[in-house]
Amino acid sequence: MDTVLSVAVVAAYVVLLTFVAVRARAAREFEEFSLARRALPLALVFGSLAATYVGPGFSIGFVGRGFKSGFLFLAIGLAYSVQNIFVGLFVAPRLRALKNCHTLGDAIGQKYDRKCHILAGVISVGLCTGFAAVMASAGGVVLSDIFGLPIWSSVTIVVGVTALYTTFGGLRASVITDAFQFTTFAILLPIMLLIVLGFHLQDGATVFAKQASVATSEGFSSTSPIEIVGLLVAFLLGETLIPPYANRALASRTTQISRNGFILAGVFCVIWFVVMIALGITARSIIPNDTGEDFVLLSLVKSVMPTGGYLLLLVVLVSVVMSSLDSLLNAGAVVFTQDIVKPFVMLTDNVALNIGRAATIVIAAVAAVGAVFVPSIIDGLLICYTIWAPAILPALIIGLWIKKPRPLAGILSMGVGTIVAVTFKFIFPDLIGIPAIIPALGSALLAYVLGHWIESIKSGA
Amino acid sequence: MKILLLVLVAIAALFAVASGVWVAIALISAISSRRA
Repeated sequence: MDTVLSVAVVAAYVVLLTFVAVRARAAREFEEFSLARRALPLALVFGSLAATYVGPGFSIGFVGRGFKSGFLFLAIGLAYSVQNIFVGLFVAPRLRALKNCHTLGDAIGQKYDRKCHILAGVISVGLCTGFAAVMASAGGVVLSDIFGLPIWSSVTIVVGVTALYTTFGGLRASVITDAFQFTTFAILLPIMLLIVLGFHLQDGATVFAKQASVATSEGFSSTSPIEIVGLLVAFLLGETLIPPYANRALASRTTQISRNGFILAGVFCVIWFVVMIALGITARSIIPNDTGEDFVLLSLVKSVMPTGGYLLLLVVLVSVVMSSLDSLLNAGAVVFTQDIVKPFVMLTDNVALNIGRAATIVIAAVAAVGAVFVPSIIDGLLICYTIWAPAILPALIIGLWIKKPRPLAGILSMGVGTIVAVTFKFIFPDLIGIPAIIPALGSALLAYVLGHWIESIKSGA
Repeated sequence: MKILLLVLVAIAALFAVASGVWVAIALISAISSRRA
Protein backbone atom coordinates (compact mmCIF):
# COMPACT_ATOMS: atom_id res chain seq x y z
CA MET A 1 0.00 0.00 0.00
CA ASP A 2 1.33 3.38 -0.97
CA THR A 3 1.55 5.34 2.29
CA VAL A 4 1.67 8.67 0.45
CA LEU A 5 -1.64 7.88 -1.25
CA SER A 6 -3.18 6.79 2.07
CA VAL A 7 -2.07 10.02 3.73
CA ALA A 8 -3.45 12.01 0.78
CA VAL A 9 -6.84 10.28 1.04
CA VAL A 10 -7.11 10.83 4.80
CA ALA A 11 -5.95 14.44 4.44
CA ALA A 12 -8.53 15.06 1.68
CA TYR A 13 -11.21 13.51 3.89
CA VAL A 14 -10.24 15.70 6.84
CA VAL A 15 -10.29 18.83 4.62
CA LEU A 16 -13.77 17.93 3.34
CA LEU A 17 -14.97 17.22 6.88
CA THR A 18 -13.55 20.55 8.06
CA PHE A 19 -15.37 22.32 5.22
CA VAL A 20 -18.64 20.69 6.29
CA ALA A 21 -17.99 21.58 9.95
CA VAL A 22 -17.16 25.19 9.05
CA ARG A 23 -20.37 25.44 7.04
CA ALA A 24 -22.19 24.38 10.21
CA ARG A 25 -20.76 27.56 11.89
CA ALA A 26 -19.34 28.03 15.37
CA ALA A 27 -21.89 28.00 18.18
CA ARG A 28 -22.49 31.48 19.59
CA GLU A 29 -24.74 30.62 22.51
CA PHE A 30 -24.94 27.73 24.98
CA GLU A 31 -28.42 26.85 23.61
CA GLU A 32 -26.80 26.45 20.20
CA PHE A 33 -23.81 24.51 21.59
CA SER A 34 -26.01 22.12 23.60
CA LEU A 35 -29.20 21.74 21.56
CA ALA A 36 -28.58 23.37 18.15
CA ARG A 37 -31.47 25.73 19.02
CA ARG A 38 -33.88 22.75 18.99
CA ALA A 39 -34.22 23.09 15.22
CA LEU A 40 -33.02 19.74 13.83
CA PRO A 41 -35.09 18.31 10.96
CA LEU A 42 -35.99 14.60 10.72
CA ALA A 43 -33.31 13.54 8.22
CA LEU A 44 -30.52 15.06 10.33
CA VAL A 45 -31.86 13.62 13.60
CA PHE A 46 -32.09 10.20 11.95
CA GLY A 47 -28.67 10.44 10.23
CA SER A 48 -26.95 11.70 13.36
CA LEU A 49 -28.55 9.05 15.59
CA ALA A 50 -27.67 6.26 13.18
CA ALA A 51 -24.13 7.58 12.73
CA THR A 52 -23.65 7.64 16.49
CA TYR A 53 -25.05 4.09 16.91
CA VAL A 54 -22.83 2.71 14.18
CA GLY A 55 -19.47 2.82 15.85
CA PRO A 56 -16.67 0.27 15.46
CA GLY A 57 -18.75 -2.34 17.32
CA PHE A 58 -21.67 -2.19 14.87
CA SER A 59 -19.39 -2.25 11.81
CA ILE A 60 -16.08 -4.08 12.34
CA GLY A 61 -17.53 -5.99 15.31
CA PHE A 62 -20.71 -7.17 13.55
CA VAL A 63 -18.87 -8.23 10.38
CA GLY A 64 -16.61 -10.35 12.62
CA ARG A 65 -19.60 -11.82 14.45
CA GLY A 66 -21.31 -12.62 11.13
CA PHE A 67 -18.13 -14.43 10.08
CA LYS A 68 -18.02 -16.53 13.27
CA SER A 69 -21.67 -16.99 14.19
CA GLY A 70 -23.78 -16.11 11.15
CA PHE A 71 -27.25 -14.72 11.83
CA LEU A 72 -27.10 -15.39 15.60
CA PHE A 73 -26.06 -11.79 16.16
CA LEU A 74 -28.87 -10.52 13.96
CA ALA A 75 -31.29 -11.89 16.54
CA ILE A 76 -29.31 -10.17 19.31
CA GLY A 77 -29.04 -6.96 17.29
CA LEU A 78 -32.83 -6.95 16.89
CA ALA A 79 -33.05 -6.25 20.64
CA TYR A 80 -31.20 -3.01 19.96
CA SER A 81 -33.62 -2.05 17.20
CA VAL A 82 -36.62 -2.85 19.38
CA GLN A 83 -35.16 -0.67 22.12
CA ASN A 84 -34.83 2.27 19.72
CA ILE A 85 -38.35 1.89 18.45
CA PHE A 86 -39.69 1.73 22.02
CA VAL A 87 -37.67 4.80 22.99
CA GLY A 88 -39.11 6.57 19.94
CA LEU A 89 -42.66 5.58 20.78
CA PHE A 90 -42.69 6.04 24.55
CA VAL A 91 -39.73 8.04 25.89
CA ALA A 92 -38.24 10.49 23.35
CA PRO A 93 -41.45 12.52 22.84
CA ARG A 94 -41.95 12.85 26.63
CA LEU A 95 -38.33 13.96 26.98
CA ARG A 96 -38.65 16.49 24.15
CA ALA A 97 -41.85 17.88 25.66
CA LEU A 98 -40.06 18.92 28.90
CA LYS A 99 -39.36 22.65 29.09
CA ASN A 100 -35.85 24.06 29.81
CA CYS A 101 -34.36 20.61 29.51
CA HIS A 102 -30.86 20.29 27.99
CA THR A 103 -29.84 16.89 29.33
CA LEU A 104 -31.08 13.70 30.96
CA GLY A 105 -29.84 15.18 34.25
CA ASP A 106 -32.20 18.12 33.73
CA ALA A 107 -35.05 15.69 33.11
CA ILE A 108 -34.19 13.71 36.24
CA GLY A 109 -33.75 16.96 38.21
CA GLN A 110 -37.20 18.16 37.12
CA LYS A 111 -38.82 14.87 38.08
CA TYR A 112 -36.92 14.23 41.34
CA ASP A 113 -34.63 16.84 42.94
CA ARG A 114 -31.29 18.64 42.71
CA LYS A 115 -29.26 15.79 44.26
CA CYS A 116 -30.58 13.34 41.66
CA HIS A 117 -29.83 15.91 38.95
CA ILE A 118 -26.17 16.18 40.01
CA LEU A 119 -25.72 12.42 40.51
CA ALA A 120 -27.16 11.76 37.03
CA GLY A 121 -24.72 14.37 35.68
CA VAL A 122 -21.70 12.76 37.33
CA ILE A 123 -22.67 9.29 36.04
CA SER A 124 -23.34 10.69 32.54
CA VAL A 125 -20.01 12.52 32.29
CA GLY A 126 -18.16 9.41 33.51
CA LEU A 127 -19.93 7.19 30.97
CA CYS A 128 -19.46 9.65 28.09
CA THR A 129 -15.74 9.75 28.89
CA GLY A 130 -15.61 5.94 29.04
CA PHE A 131 -17.44 5.52 25.72
CA ALA A 132 -15.20 8.22 24.19
CA ALA A 133 -12.10 6.34 25.36
CA VAL A 134 -13.37 3.20 23.58
CA MET A 135 -13.94 5.17 20.36
CA ALA A 136 -10.54 6.88 20.65
CA SER A 137 -8.92 3.50 21.11
CA ALA A 138 -10.65 2.11 18.01
CA GLY A 139 -9.67 5.15 15.95
CA GLY A 140 -6.09 4.84 17.15
CA VAL A 141 -5.96 1.18 16.14
CA VAL A 142 -7.25 1.97 12.63
CA LEU A 143 -4.78 4.80 11.95
CA SER A 144 -1.91 2.94 13.58
CA ASP A 145 -2.60 -0.15 11.45
CA ILE A 146 -2.58 1.85 8.24
CA PHE A 147 0.25 4.32 8.78
CA GLY A 148 2.38 2.28 11.18
CA LEU A 149 2.30 5.17 13.67
CA PRO A 150 2.65 4.56 17.40
CA ILE A 151 -0.78 4.07 18.96
CA TRP A 152 -0.52 7.20 21.12
CA SER A 153 0.04 9.47 18.13
CA SER A 154 -2.82 7.84 16.19
CA VAL A 155 -5.16 8.37 19.15
CA THR A 156 -3.97 11.99 19.43
CA ILE A 157 -4.74 12.68 15.74
CA VAL A 158 -8.24 11.15 15.85
CA VAL A 159 -9.18 12.79 19.15
CA GLY A 160 -7.53 16.11 18.25
CA VAL A 161 -9.37 16.56 14.92
CA THR A 162 -12.70 15.49 16.42
CA ALA A 163 -12.32 17.69 19.51
CA LEU A 164 -11.43 20.69 17.31
CA TYR A 165 -14.69 20.89 15.38
CA THR A 166 -16.82 19.74 18.34
CA THR A 167 -15.33 22.40 20.64
CA PHE A 168 -16.22 25.27 18.31
CA GLY A 169 -19.35 23.99 16.59
CA GLY A 170 -21.07 22.19 19.47
CA LEU A 171 -24.08 19.97 18.73
CA ARG A 172 -24.78 21.61 15.37
CA ALA A 173 -21.29 20.73 14.06
CA SER A 174 -21.55 17.27 15.59
CA VAL A 175 -24.89 16.58 13.87
CA ILE A 176 -23.83 18.03 10.51
CA THR A 177 -20.56 16.08 10.45
CA ASP A 178 -22.40 12.96 11.64
CA ALA A 179 -24.71 13.29 8.64
CA PHE A 180 -21.69 13.59 6.35
CA GLN A 181 -20.02 10.57 7.95
CA PHE A 182 -23.27 8.58 7.87
CA THR A 183 -23.58 9.27 4.16
CA THR A 184 -20.04 8.00 3.64
CA PHE A 185 -20.40 4.64 5.33
CA ALA A 186 -24.10 3.99 4.68
CA ILE A 187 -23.41 4.16 0.95
CA LEU A 188 -19.93 2.61 0.67
CA LEU A 189 -20.24 -0.53 2.81
CA PRO A 190 -23.56 -1.78 1.33
CA ILE A 191 -22.20 -1.14 -2.18
CA MET A 192 -19.21 -3.26 -1.26
CA LEU A 193 -21.57 -6.04 -0.16
CA LEU A 194 -23.42 -5.87 -3.49
CA ILE A 195 -20.08 -6.08 -5.35
CA VAL A 196 -19.03 -9.13 -3.31
CA LEU A 197 -22.39 -10.85 -3.82
CA GLY A 198 -22.47 -10.03 -7.52
CA PHE A 199 -18.87 -10.67 -8.56
CA HIS A 200 -16.97 -12.65 -5.93
CA LEU A 201 -19.27 -15.51 -4.93
CA GLN A 202 -19.53 -18.26 -7.51
CA ASP A 203 -23.01 -19.81 -7.44
CA GLY A 204 -23.77 -16.97 -5.04
CA ALA A 205 -27.17 -17.93 -3.61
CA THR A 206 -26.22 -21.54 -2.79
CA VAL A 207 -22.83 -20.67 -1.28
CA PHE A 208 -24.27 -17.79 0.75
CA ALA A 209 -27.15 -19.88 2.13
CA LYS A 210 -24.82 -22.76 3.02
CA GLN A 211 -22.28 -20.54 4.76
CA ALA A 212 -25.06 -18.71 6.62
CA SER A 213 -26.51 -21.99 7.85
CA VAL A 214 -23.14 -23.44 8.96
CA ALA A 215 -22.01 -20.23 10.67
CA THR A 216 -25.32 -19.75 12.50
CA SER A 217 -25.25 -23.36 13.76
CA GLU A 218 -21.67 -22.85 14.95
CA GLY A 219 -22.73 -19.64 16.66
CA PHE A 220 -25.56 -21.32 18.59
CA SER A 221 -23.40 -24.29 19.60
CA SER A 222 -20.55 -22.08 20.87
CA THR A 223 -22.74 -19.63 22.84
CA SER A 224 -24.50 -20.73 26.02
CA PRO A 225 -28.14 -19.73 26.60
CA ILE A 226 -27.15 -17.56 29.58
CA GLU A 227 -24.61 -15.73 27.41
CA ILE A 228 -27.32 -15.11 24.83
CA VAL A 229 -29.63 -13.75 27.55
CA GLY A 230 -26.84 -11.47 28.84
CA LEU A 231 -26.13 -10.18 25.34
CA LEU A 232 -29.84 -9.61 24.67
CA VAL A 233 -30.17 -7.58 27.88
CA ALA A 234 -27.00 -5.61 27.12
CA PHE A 235 -28.17 -4.81 23.58
CA LEU A 236 -31.71 -4.08 24.72
CA LEU A 237 -30.80 -1.67 27.52
CA GLY A 238 -27.06 -0.95 27.60
CA GLU A 239 -27.09 2.06 25.28
CA THR A 240 -30.64 3.20 25.87
CA LEU A 241 -30.77 6.98 25.80
CA ILE A 242 -27.10 7.54 26.59
CA PRO A 243 -26.42 11.31 26.67
CA PRO A 244 -25.71 11.82 22.93
CA TYR A 245 -28.99 10.13 21.98
CA ALA A 246 -30.89 12.10 24.60
CA ASN A 247 -29.35 15.33 23.20
CA ARG A 248 -30.74 14.49 19.76
CA ALA A 249 -34.16 13.73 21.20
CA LEU A 250 -34.11 17.11 22.93
CA ALA A 251 -32.71 18.99 19.93
CA SER A 252 -35.36 17.80 17.46
CA ARG A 253 -37.57 20.51 15.99
CA THR A 254 -40.78 18.88 17.29
CA THR A 255 -41.83 15.97 19.50
CA GLN A 256 -42.99 14.16 16.36
CA ILE A 257 -39.54 14.48 14.76
CA SER A 258 -37.99 13.24 17.99
CA ARG A 259 -40.25 10.16 17.94
CA ASN A 260 -39.86 9.42 14.24
CA GLY A 261 -36.08 9.94 14.33
CA PHE A 262 -35.69 7.15 16.89
CA ILE A 263 -38.15 4.84 15.13
CA LEU A 264 -36.41 5.27 11.77
CA ALA A 265 -32.99 4.81 13.35
CA GLY A 266 -34.28 1.60 14.97
CA VAL A 267 -35.50 0.29 11.61
CA PHE A 268 -32.19 1.31 10.02
CA CYS A 269 -30.33 -0.76 12.65
CA VAL A 270 -32.06 -3.94 11.43
CA ILE A 271 -31.07 -3.17 7.83
CA TRP A 272 -27.55 -2.31 8.88
CA PHE A 273 -27.08 -5.48 10.93
CA VAL A 274 -28.26 -7.58 7.96
CA VAL A 275 -25.69 -5.87 5.72
CA MET A 276 -22.82 -6.23 8.21
CA ILE A 277 -23.59 -9.87 9.04
CA ALA A 278 -23.99 -10.70 5.35
CA LEU A 279 -20.53 -9.22 4.73
CA GLY A 280 -19.16 -11.50 7.45
CA ILE A 281 -20.91 -14.55 5.98
CA THR A 282 -19.61 -13.84 2.45
CA ALA A 283 -16.11 -13.48 3.90
CA ARG A 284 -16.19 -17.15 5.03
CA SER A 285 -15.67 -18.37 1.47
CA ILE A 286 -13.12 -15.68 0.60
CA ILE A 287 -10.66 -15.20 3.49
CA PRO A 288 -8.89 -17.76 5.74
CA ASN A 289 -11.05 -19.36 8.46
CA ASP A 290 -8.64 -18.46 11.25
CA THR A 291 -8.89 -14.70 10.61
CA GLY A 292 -9.45 -12.80 13.89
CA GLU A 293 -12.93 -11.29 14.31
CA ASP A 294 -11.73 -7.68 14.33
CA PHE A 295 -9.79 -8.20 11.08
CA VAL A 296 -12.50 -9.84 8.95
CA LEU A 297 -13.73 -6.62 7.34
CA LEU A 298 -10.21 -5.39 6.65
CA SER A 299 -9.12 -8.76 5.18
CA LEU A 300 -12.28 -9.01 3.06
CA VAL A 301 -11.76 -5.57 1.58
CA LYS A 302 -8.09 -6.32 0.87
CA SER A 303 -9.10 -9.53 -0.90
CA VAL A 304 -11.93 -8.26 -3.06
CA MET A 305 -11.33 -4.58 -3.67
CA PRO A 306 -8.59 -2.83 -5.62
CA THR A 307 -6.28 -0.31 -3.87
CA GLY A 308 -8.89 2.42 -4.22
CA GLY A 309 -11.38 0.22 -2.37
CA TYR A 310 -8.99 -0.21 0.52
CA LEU A 311 -8.58 3.55 0.76
CA LEU A 312 -12.34 3.99 0.73
CA LEU A 313 -12.56 1.56 3.62
CA LEU A 314 -10.03 3.66 5.47
CA VAL A 315 -12.29 6.69 5.05
CA VAL A 316 -15.30 4.64 6.15
CA LEU A 317 -13.60 3.45 9.32
CA VAL A 318 -12.41 6.92 10.24
CA SER A 319 -16.00 8.18 9.66
CA VAL A 320 -17.46 5.45 11.83
CA VAL A 321 -15.17 6.30 14.73
CA MET A 322 -15.34 10.09 14.51
CA SER A 323 -19.13 10.24 14.20
CA SER A 324 -19.51 8.41 17.52
CA LEU A 325 -16.64 10.23 19.23
CA ASP A 326 -17.82 13.77 18.42
CA SER A 327 -21.31 13.05 19.77
CA LEU A 328 -19.88 11.69 23.02
CA LEU A 329 -17.51 14.64 23.51
CA ASN A 330 -20.29 17.17 22.94
CA ALA A 331 -22.77 15.31 25.15
CA GLY A 332 -20.22 14.95 27.97
CA ALA A 333 -19.37 18.67 27.81
CA VAL A 334 -23.02 19.76 27.82
CA VAL A 335 -23.82 17.43 30.73
CA PHE A 336 -20.82 18.72 32.70
CA THR A 337 -21.90 22.34 32.25
CA GLN A 338 -25.61 21.82 32.74
CA ASP A 339 -25.72 19.11 35.42
CA ILE A 340 -22.54 19.58 37.42
CA VAL A 341 -21.57 23.28 37.21
CA LYS A 342 -24.91 25.06 36.76
CA PRO A 343 -26.61 23.61 39.87
CA PHE A 344 -23.89 25.29 41.98
CA VAL A 345 -23.11 28.51 40.09
CA MET A 346 -25.26 31.00 38.18
CA LEU A 347 -23.65 31.29 34.75
CA THR A 348 -24.09 33.85 32.01
CA ASP A 349 -24.67 32.32 28.58
CA ASN A 350 -21.20 33.27 27.42
CA VAL A 351 -19.51 31.70 30.45
CA ALA A 352 -21.60 28.53 30.06
CA LEU A 353 -20.54 28.31 26.41
CA ASN A 354 -16.87 28.69 27.35
CA ILE A 355 -17.16 26.09 30.11
CA GLY A 356 -18.79 23.72 27.59
CA ARG A 357 -15.91 24.26 25.17
CA ALA A 358 -13.27 23.78 27.87
CA ALA A 359 -15.06 20.63 29.07
CA THR A 360 -15.00 19.24 25.51
CA ILE A 361 -11.21 19.58 25.45
CA VAL A 362 -10.74 18.10 28.93
CA ILE A 363 -13.02 15.10 28.22
CA ALA A 364 -11.19 14.56 24.91
CA ALA A 365 -7.83 14.60 26.71
CA VAL A 366 -9.02 12.17 29.42
CA ALA A 367 -10.51 9.88 26.75
CA ALA A 368 -7.24 9.92 24.81
CA VAL A 369 -5.30 8.90 27.91
CA GLY A 370 -7.95 6.31 28.84
CA ALA A 371 -7.84 4.83 25.33
CA VAL A 372 -4.57 3.12 26.21
CA PHE A 373 -6.34 1.11 28.94
CA VAL A 374 -9.31 -0.07 26.84
CA PRO A 375 -9.16 -3.90 26.72
CA SER A 376 -10.93 -4.30 23.34
CA ILE A 377 -13.70 -2.51 21.46
CA ILE A 378 -16.50 -4.91 22.44
CA ASP A 379 -15.26 -5.40 26.02
CA GLY A 380 -14.92 -1.66 26.48
CA LEU A 381 -18.46 -1.09 25.23
CA LEU A 382 -19.86 -3.88 27.42
CA ILE A 383 -18.30 -2.28 30.52
CA CYS A 384 -20.05 1.01 29.70
CA TYR A 385 -23.37 -0.76 28.94
CA THR A 386 -23.19 -2.66 32.23
CA ILE A 387 -22.98 0.53 34.25
CA TRP A 388 -25.25 2.84 32.24
CA ALA A 389 -28.43 0.77 32.14
CA PRO A 390 -28.77 0.07 35.90
CA ALA A 391 -27.44 3.48 36.94
CA ILE A 392 -29.82 5.68 34.97
CA LEU A 393 -32.63 3.86 33.16
CA PRO A 394 -34.95 2.82 36.02
CA ALA A 395 -34.90 6.32 37.53
CA LEU A 396 -35.29 8.05 34.17
CA ILE A 397 -37.97 5.91 32.57
CA ILE A 398 -40.11 5.40 35.67
CA GLY A 399 -39.70 9.10 36.49
CA LEU A 400 -41.01 10.11 33.08
CA TRP A 401 -44.06 7.87 33.42
CA ILE A 402 -45.33 8.00 37.00
CA LYS A 403 -47.18 10.95 38.51
CA LYS A 404 -45.19 11.55 41.69
CA PRO A 405 -41.61 10.29 41.42
CA ARG A 406 -39.90 10.24 44.84
CA PRO A 407 -36.38 11.70 45.14
CA LEU A 408 -35.25 8.91 47.51
CA ALA A 409 -36.28 6.31 44.91
CA GLY A 410 -34.23 8.11 42.24
CA ILE A 411 -31.09 8.50 44.31
CA LEU A 412 -31.24 4.94 45.70
CA SER A 413 -31.81 3.45 42.26
CA MET A 414 -28.90 5.35 40.68
CA GLY A 415 -26.54 4.73 43.59
CA VAL A 416 -27.32 1.03 44.07
CA GLY A 417 -27.37 0.36 40.30
CA THR A 418 -23.92 1.90 39.88
CA ILE A 419 -22.39 0.18 42.91
CA VAL A 420 -23.75 -3.29 42.07
CA ALA A 421 -22.68 -2.96 38.40
CA VAL A 422 -19.14 -1.90 39.34
CA THR A 423 -18.91 -4.59 42.01
CA PHE A 424 -19.95 -7.48 39.77
CA LYS A 425 -18.08 -6.20 36.72
CA PHE A 426 -14.71 -5.33 38.30
CA ILE A 427 -14.38 -6.60 41.87
CA PHE A 428 -16.12 -10.01 41.73
CA PRO A 429 -16.54 -10.73 38.00
CA ASP A 430 -16.79 -14.51 38.42
CA LEU A 431 -18.91 -14.61 41.57
CA ILE A 432 -22.34 -15.37 40.09
CA GLY A 433 -21.66 -16.63 36.56
CA ILE A 434 -24.18 -14.32 34.87
CA PRO A 435 -23.54 -10.96 33.18
CA ALA A 436 -23.25 -8.14 35.75
CA ILE A 437 -25.92 -6.04 34.02
CA ILE A 438 -28.67 -8.46 35.13
CA PRO A 439 -28.15 -8.33 38.94
CA ALA A 440 -27.32 -4.62 38.73
CA LEU A 441 -30.54 -3.84 36.90
CA GLY A 442 -32.55 -5.99 39.32
CA SER A 443 -30.94 -4.26 42.32
CA ALA A 444 -31.59 -0.82 40.86
CA LEU A 445 -35.27 -1.64 40.35
CA LEU A 446 -35.59 -3.06 43.88
CA ALA A 447 -33.84 0.00 45.31
CA TYR A 448 -36.25 2.21 43.39
CA VAL A 449 -39.30 0.39 44.75
CA LEU A 450 -37.85 0.54 48.28
CA GLY A 451 -37.13 4.28 48.06
CA HIS A 452 -40.57 4.98 46.65
CA TRP A 453 -42.24 2.93 49.37
CA ILE A 454 -40.27 4.59 52.22
CA GLU A 455 -41.06 8.12 51.00
CA SER A 456 -44.68 7.24 50.38
CA ILE A 457 -44.99 6.07 53.99
CA LYS A 458 -43.18 9.18 55.26
CA SER A 459 -45.45 11.53 53.35
CA GLY A 460 -48.51 9.50 54.27
CA ALA A 461 -49.50 9.07 50.62
CA MET B 1 -35.41 -20.20 -0.55
CA LYS B 2 -31.70 -19.65 -1.23
CA ILE B 3 -32.49 -17.00 -3.80
CA LEU B 4 -34.97 -15.37 -1.42
CA LEU B 5 -32.27 -15.02 1.26
CA LEU B 6 -29.90 -13.39 -1.19
CA VAL B 7 -32.61 -11.07 -2.51
CA LEU B 8 -33.51 -9.97 1.04
CA VAL B 9 -29.85 -9.19 1.76
CA ALA B 10 -29.57 -7.23 -1.50
CA ILE B 11 -32.75 -5.28 -0.67
CA ALA B 12 -31.34 -4.43 2.78
CA ALA B 13 -28.16 -3.13 1.13
CA LEU B 14 -30.18 -0.98 -1.27
CA PHE B 15 -32.26 0.43 1.60
CA ALA B 16 -29.07 1.35 3.45
CA VAL B 17 -27.75 3.13 0.36
CA ALA B 18 -31.08 4.94 -0.04
CA SER B 19 -30.88 6.10 3.61
CA GLY B 20 -27.40 7.45 2.93
CA VAL B 21 -28.66 9.35 -0.13
CA TRP B 22 -31.64 10.78 1.79
CA VAL B 23 -29.38 12.09 4.58
CA ALA B 24 -26.90 13.43 1.99
CA ILE B 25 -29.67 15.47 0.36
CA ALA B 26 -30.74 16.84 3.76
CA LEU B 27 -27.12 17.65 4.58
CA ILE B 28 -26.57 19.55 1.34
CA SER B 29 -29.77 21.45 1.92
CA ALA B 30 -28.77 22.29 5.51
CA ILE B 31 -25.27 23.50 4.74
CA SER B 32 -26.25 25.39 1.61
CA SER B 33 -28.87 27.34 3.54
CA ARG B 34 -26.85 27.20 6.80
CA ARG B 35 -29.85 25.77 8.62
CA ALA B 36 -29.51 22.78 10.89
